[in-house]
Amino acid sequence: MKIFWSFTRQAFQFISAYRFNFFMEFVLSILRMYGIYWVWRVLYTQKPGAFGVSLDQMVTYGVMGMALELFIWSRPQWYISNQVKSGAIDTDLMKPLDFHFYMLARSVGETMIGVSVLAIPALLVAYLVLHVQLPPDVLTGLIFAISLILGFLLLFHLNFILGSLSVVALDIRHISWAYFSVVRFLGGQIVPLWLFPTAIRAIAEVLPFKGTYFIPISIYIGTITGAEAIRAIEFQLVWVVVLVIVSRMLWGWAYRRLVVQGG
Amino acid sequence: MNGFQLYFRLIQISLLSRMQYRANFIAGILGLIFWNVINLGLIGILVTQFTSLKDWTLWQLVFLYSLWVLGYSLYSLFFSHTSELENYLLEGSFDQFLLRPASPLVQLLGRELQHTEIANALIGLTGISLAYTQLDLHWEVWKWGFFFAAVVSSAIIALAINLLIACSGFWTGRSRGTSIIVNQFYGLVQQYPLDVFGSAFRFIVTGLIPLAFMNYYPALVLLNKVDRTNPGWWLSYVSPLVALLLIGLVSLVWRLGLDRYSSSGS
Repeated sequence: MKIFWSFTRQAFQFISAYRFNFFMEFVLSILRMYGIYWVWRVLYTQKPGAFGVSLDQMVTYGVMGMALELFIWSRPQWYISNQVKSGAIDTDLMKPLDFHFYMLARSVGETMIGVSVLAIPALLVAYLVLHVQLPPDVLTGLIFAISLILGFLLLFHLNFILGSLSVVALDIRHISWAYFSVVRFLGGQIVPLWLFPTAIRAIAEVLPFKGTYFIPISIYIGTITGAEAIRAIEFQLVWVVVLVIVSRMLWGWAYRRLVVQGG
Repeated sequence: MNGFQLYFRLIQISLLSRMQYRANFIAGILGLIFWNVINLGLIGILVTQFTSLKDWTLWQLVFLYSLWVLGYSLYSLFFSHTSELENYLLEGSFDQFLLRPASPLVQLLGRELQHTEIANALIGLTGISLAYTQLDLHWEVWKWGFFFAAVVSSAIIALAINLLIACSGFWTGRSRGTSIIVNQFYGLVQQYPLDVFGSAFRFIVTGLIPLAFMNYYPALVLLNKVDRTNPGWWLSYVSPLVALLLIGLVSLVWRLGLDRYSSSGS
């Protein structure tokens, strides 16, 4: 626990040093929420209650999609790729810590700051201005929290895998554009899966991406409930386990490559 | 050498150095194609499920999006590194520009060519031609002229806005924060017609940061959507004028900034 706390403190110091940038991030997320709010309002004037989801639920979905981007704010792949490029990765590897665990601790620390400094204040504004809903009851809120943590772990490991690839590919900037858009699309950050055409939906349903945004937010707005919610959480859990194994194997492989290169 | 010759010589040098990294070039192009296809896919899903967005149909939205991508790609291809000005000012490397016997502006503009942006230009062109046939548009000669003027204006507006932000670094030292904000407006104006948003947003992207002139207003003309009963209808025709005004403003601010510049000394 101590180690997570020390990374949280480090992230907080980083933010205090770049206060203006973080204020900008905050303004931006409000702007994004505002944008998505209008898009859904306009679409819903054409088809009120489309697909059995009310406008309030849909707006909440959209705003939460933007807020979760702040929640899952940590980007270990950039860190790894920069360290590899500059060669400073050897100091990370010399630390008496498992590298995968070290990156996870860093991400958790950064995320705690992201949540308290960015996501929660932005959501507060959204509650006041954009009429975003609270979860229907406490139990739903609790299941949402579990699903959100699993979503964070999912995305962390996907990012970590991308970061490991940077050891081999060196420059992951371009790959990440493709990667980000896939996560946004198949994860249902902006458009929920129930609107997808059948063929794309079938693909999105089996891949891990829907566990990052779609499952937690659907639980939050109450379109996934009861036994279905439990199944959704199991889905996230299975993918987290799979991705942990893949991450560790991939990093082991990349690590050997790194040693051969001489760092 | 005059300014133009110098510019092309600089571009040539930068291109030669860029082509050393061929795998990166291909990865960049694939990344861009992916990015755009997925953006359009999201719009496509929304519009097919809800039939239209206000009174914009799917292919009209594709046109709106592609017009932006085309204009913006021209800007990015030649000038996207202007946002680096902040770093040159902070590190003091801007001094090099002043020491050489050539216009600092030409040196800044000619520093790089973002050649992966060619993919964006092609995506924009493809989108526009698909929309043109799907919407069964038949432009008269003047509309073709207006189309080319609109694309060039769009690139100039993007350049001017980015240069203005970068120039603010002459006074404040930092300009990144402002540019991040403006970038966010880009995404919204690019993908959704202004009709969707509230009047405050419309005012900002028309009057303050005139991004709507890059695609929304000219698209109204090109898609025959100008509504003469609307008091602001003439705005649809003035993109080239806005671009000219902005050029004037930028050259003024650039000169003031240069006078103001004192090296960071590092």
